Amino acid sequence: MIPEIGHIILISHLVLSFMGGILPLAAIYSKNDFLSIPTKKLSVFLFFLILVPFLVLIYSFLIDDFSVAYVSQNSNINLPNYYKLAATWGAHEGSLLLWILAMNGWLIAFMFFNNSKDKDYISTVFSISCQVIFAFSLFTLFTSNPFERILPIPPLSGADLNPSLQDIAFTVHPPLLYFGYSGLMIPFAISVAAMLFSKDTKEWASNSRPWTLMSCSFLTLGIALGSWWAYYELGWGGWWFWDPVENAAFIPWLLSVALFHSLIASENRGVFGKWSILLSIFAFATSLLGTFLVRSGILTSVHAFALDPERGLFILGILAFFIIGSLFIYSIKDFENETTPSYELTSKEFGFLLNNLLLVVLAVSILFGTIFPLIYEAITDGKQISVGAPYFEVILFPFALALGLLQGFALYLSWGTSSSFKFLPRLLIESVSVFLLILIILFILFDNLHLTSFATIFLSSWILMGTLQINKNKNLNYWRFLRKRAAVTFAHSGMAILTLGVAVVSSYSIEKEIILAPDDSVEFGNQTILFKNTEDIMGPNYFSKSATMSFSDGSNFSDVLTEKRTYSPSGQLTTEAGIKTEIFQDLYISMGDNLEADIWSFKVQIKPFIRWIWLGALMIAIGSLLAGIKRVRKT
Amino acid sequence: MKKVIDIFPLAIFVVLLIVLFSFLSEKDDQLETALVDSDFPDFSLSALSNDNKTLTKGDISKLPALINVWATWCIACRVEHPFLMQLKNESVLTIYGLNYKDNRTKALSLLERDGDPYEFSIYDFEGRLAIDLGVYGAPETFFVDKNGVIRERHVGVVDETVWEKKFAKYLNE
Repeated sequence: MIPEIGHIILISHLVLSFMGGILPLAAIYSKNDFLSIPTKKLSVFLFFLILVPFLVLIYSFLIDDFSVAYVSQNSNINLPNYYKLAATWGAHEGSLLLWILAMNGWLIAFMFFNNSKDKDYISTVFSISCQVIFAFSLFTLFTSNPFERILPIPPLSGADLNPSLQDIAFTVHPPLLYFGYSGLMIPFAISVAAMLFSKDTKEWASNSRPWTLMSCSFLTLGIALGSWWAYYELGWGGWWFWDPVENAAFIPWLLSVALFHSLIASENRGVFGKWSILLSIFAFATSLLGTFLVRSGILTSVHAFALDPERGLFILGILAFFIIGSLFIYSIKDFENETTPSYELTSKEFGFLLNNLLLVVLAVSILFGTIFPLIYEAITDGKQISVGAPYFEVILFPFALALGLLQGFALYLSWGTSSSFKFLPRLLIESVSVFLLILIILFILFDNLHLTSFATIFLSSWILMGTLQINKNKNLNYWRFLRKRAAVTFAHSGMAILTLGVAVVSSYSIEKEIILAPDDSVEFGNQTILFKNTEDIMGPNYFSKSATMSFSDGSNFSDVLTEKRTYSPSGQLTTEAGIKTEIFQDLYISMGDNLEADIWSFKVQIKPFIRWIWLGALMIAIGSLLAGIKRVRKT
Repeated sequence: MKKVIDIFPLAIFVVLLIVLFSFLSEKDDQLETALVDSDFPDFSLSALSNDNKTLTKGDISKLPALINVWATWCIACRVEHPFLMQLKNESVLTIYGLNYKDNRTKALSLLERDGDPYEFSIYDFEGRLAIDLGVYGAPETFFVDKNGVIRERHVGVVDETVWEKKFAKYLNE
């Protein structure tokens, strides 16, 4: 009975979001006040109409209602409660509910905290958002109803949540990512409304900026957590795999970063109006495209959701409707009367233009690399290739280099006029000194210098000093610094730290396959690894063979546990890596095969500076969140 | 002149959409054609009901037949189970089971409780035959014609509609 209530409320959400998508527009264009509805209240009401079905689904998981097909496919009597909660969004149907919930959350926030006094324009943004929400609601009900029942004989227990998803990081990774994806709906709706109302570039850019920044922040966090999860859960010790689904999140991230930079120029100088509109549309389009790639089953990856061409078709339909619609408005709109202020070659505007070009071309190259294998398969009649990491790394490097060089001095450029480059010698001297300092530290830590990492390490010190030094020039006191510069300083320094992490981990990592019997030890790097013993562990829903390993650098000893788990409901195997984290490096060991009796193979790795990658990403996320929130309050 | 440039994004996007759409229709039949029109692969595995009895390709003798991949951990298999029983009871054709990565005792007790639609089930604990068949998961169903050639493959639950649409036509050949 309870699931049916959820189902019925979901249907009413569909109906109401349809009305929200139509009525405000009808009222504006027919100038008929009779049709107008209180959009603020409706946004709150819509939120509750999706919150209740979501809570109902959580409830069905918690009480083990296996007559609900979705619960029986993704949960199990023995699954710990915490993961039952997370299983709600662990597969396709439930994650769609969460997605819609997030979109409604953004919509409420926008309705209550936008900085515009133009009521019709805000109603239009509301309407367009409701149309998007309606499309997702329709998609859920018609192809992916989470409340479908298995009747009359419900199974006694379920098939279990995919074991590799039974993990803390995983439970928060998807919601953050969905918050990021769905947030891009707001800039999209604003850009369309801005075209319909011929809004001044400066005005609409200031409306759009906070939401773009916050979406980007959530995307950053979601991607970083996904990378961290892959690192310790998949047992390979890698942190980025150029998996199609990772790319599907990375592309909208790149575009949203491009967008909020372009919006800075649009808001302050009224330039790049058309470009910002296009970027808003395409950032949203790529977030839908990502969904399409993942859930239609045309790409296979670690993230594979259930294969269902029908779902793919539906998402393609949503994509076609909104993007063709908005691009059509773009193509017929007369932008002629827009004045574009001029700017010179070394001005700040030009810096933003360059930043945008680099980011967009990079995004397009990654998109191409992601769908190229499909094109290849189609034209060669089924031959499969994978362009994989080598392609992407070759592509990424020159762009990252150019972007980093630009980032280092971009903050010094001035609006409109040519900038003076007096700061350059000093910046160069300082970043070279920091660069040398980092090299010395690396040499002390690892007794080794890798020439290949020099360029990227220099880049990171260049970005760092470029970011930190500018604040000194501005002579700000503590509070004014916090208010004016903290966000950008934080985010840009985060980028420097991330770059340093990538540079060091990609050239200083070492790994080795080892074979050990209990009480045997082996030398690896500056560590001695001792295989202490194996033990059988019974978890709530798995059986595990675990090995206790001890790392020692001569003075300190520390034990880690690595496991091979067999999850009982599905029989699936996972490897739990044993990781010892230090400030400058991770010691990473994962259990391999049982060769004979008590002899096991292990893969052991030393990953220097790997934590710095996620630390940097976290700083970027906090920085952009701060920048967004700061502007929200300006209402 | 300016107008033409403004149509560009739309044009590019439409092309992208068409490409994506073609993937979608491509993928649809590609999955099915992997093994279609090739001989059923050789195998040597034990019977589900009897560990000591070895089954080979020669034992699949009552043709045409359906080969149905199933397991007790597979919920969707229980959904299609009544329809398979119906096929058996109406003597439409023989069904052979391929019990996939499963627990033997559990599998047998399930068949005892809910009914056994299979002539016999092959016990494929390690998924050896399943790999040769290119099985994605359970349930999956193959149609083998009277010459021992795989003619059709279906991933997912087989019901009345799927049967009519995909399999029935091969029966009357």
